[in-house]
Amino acid sequence: MPTTLPFSRRGVLAALLLPIALWATTAQAANLDEIKKRGYMTVVTEDDFRPFEFVKDGKPTGFNNEMVDALRKYAPFEIRQEILPWPGILAGVATGKYDIAITAVLMTKERTQSLDFTSPIADATHYYVKRKDDSSIKSIKDLNGKTVGVQTGSAFLSRLPELQAMLAKEGGKLGKVVEYSSYPEAYQDLALKRTDFVVNTVINLKALVAERPNVFELGQPVSGNSYPAWAVKKGNTDLLKFMNEFIAAQKANGVMPALQKKWFGEAFTLPVSYTPEQ
Amino acid sequence: MSHADVLSIFSGALTTLLLSIAGIALGLPLGLGLALARWAKVPLLNQVVAVYVSLLRATPLITLVLLIFFALPTAGISVGPVTAGLIALVLNTAAFNCEVWRAALLDLPKDQIEAAQSVGMGQALRFRRIVLPQVWRTALPGLINEMSQLVKLTPVLAVVGVVDITRAAVRIGAQTYEPLPPFLVALAIYIPIVYALVSVQRWVERRTTLREAAA
Repeated sequence: MPTTLPFSRRGVLAALLLPIALWATTAQAANLDEIKKRGYMTVVTEDDFRPFEFVKDGKPTGFNNEMVDALRKYAPFEIRQEILPWPGILAGVATGKYDIAITAVLMTKERTQSLDFTSPIADATHYYVKRKDDSSIKSIKDLNGKTVGVQTGSAFLSRLPELQAMLAKEGGKLGKVVEYSSYPEAYQDLALKRTDFVVNTVINLKALVAERPNVFELGQPVSGNSYPAWAVKKGNTDLLKFMNEFIAAQKANGVMPALQKKWFGEAFTLPVSYTPEQ
Repeated sequence: MSHADVLSIFSGALTTLLLSIAGIALGLPLGLGLALARWAKVPLLNQVVAVYVSLLRATPLITLVLLIFFALPTAGISVGPVTAGLIALVLNTAAFNCEVWRAALLDLPKDQIEAAQSVGMGQALRFRRIVLPQVWRTALPGLINEMSQLVKLTPVLAVVGVVDITRAAVRIGAQTYEPLPPFLVALAIYIPIVYALVSVQRWVERRTTLREAAA
């Protein structure tokens, strides 16, 4: 039986898609007044970025999770925390689902277009890590043409030109870049010899090498200064101010340096604000 | 890997099981409803369902769950990770179930319906006594197939923060820097879950065959 109704499939499709398109344009994060009024702030953290945040025996721990504990004592409102894998974190802050990402978001020029950063929480220059038994890599120039593993969407991708320039000075060039959805997979592939080195912040790599000294060995810096910070949606200035006051208070009362020592092995002297050039 | 690590994978298994069971329990009848709307050629609903099925079969589950999780709050509806995951699972599996049910409905001989009409059976009674008992048996293998796919689709929901078997294993690997042992434990848990589903199918099929032989 042929259908003689005026509803074409395409027409129905368009009618269904229109409201979805309208939604996407109305996202907004709560500012400090709204947070105070509703009584809670939503915080998003990662689950597999040791030593910043990870899960041990089913409980979130690491530097940032202990900072969240300190924030719970400091803030006059409730802190609601959600734990997400990295790919959803910045999208969640940019769409206003979460008020702030309390994770190690490396400050880059590109990210400042959609996010505002708090004061840096650590010094995180990028280093490379290699297999301990791989004697072909002794310094930066040996990285010429070798395969590198990094996390997809990670800040290091935007700083690759720095390593490229370092290699070019020695007459070499950057090899193949393999991207992983998170760093544990990148480390595993390095151990399996599918890549030759992995680039991450010195903090993460020190933790890795301390845990598995027989497999991995820390190399040298492959970028200039780089700082991780927490991120709020661009333009949420009063929330940013509140969080910067919180960080300043934790520096002053000694909590933050103690946590840095505990999780990163050293306390850093950090700038109050930093504008990334790359 | 510590004792607590294994426990956390088992707690992930509970999440996987509950989400799968809820997804099946909601998606199965919803799929049947959609298939009936198409089979009976209900005006407008027929076209809407056809578009829905095409759209949902073309949308990767990961895209769907991200859309639900991040887009719904902007419309003022707040959903947690598990709720968003369940909605995405149900919407997805209902579309596939709809086609399995519809295939079984199309396979049902017309004279069965006409015979039921001729003895004065009403629509509801016809469906209960004649259509459903025959249709579900044709649909069963396809439905079980879709259910076992659904169990294995649940790790996708991790992207919005649902901690299922696989995500629990990933977390342990990230903490110990030894990802292989937790993945082996995870695999050892998936196998019996899917095997249980297939066993249910075999049991139901055997039972109906025995009943028919006795009749």
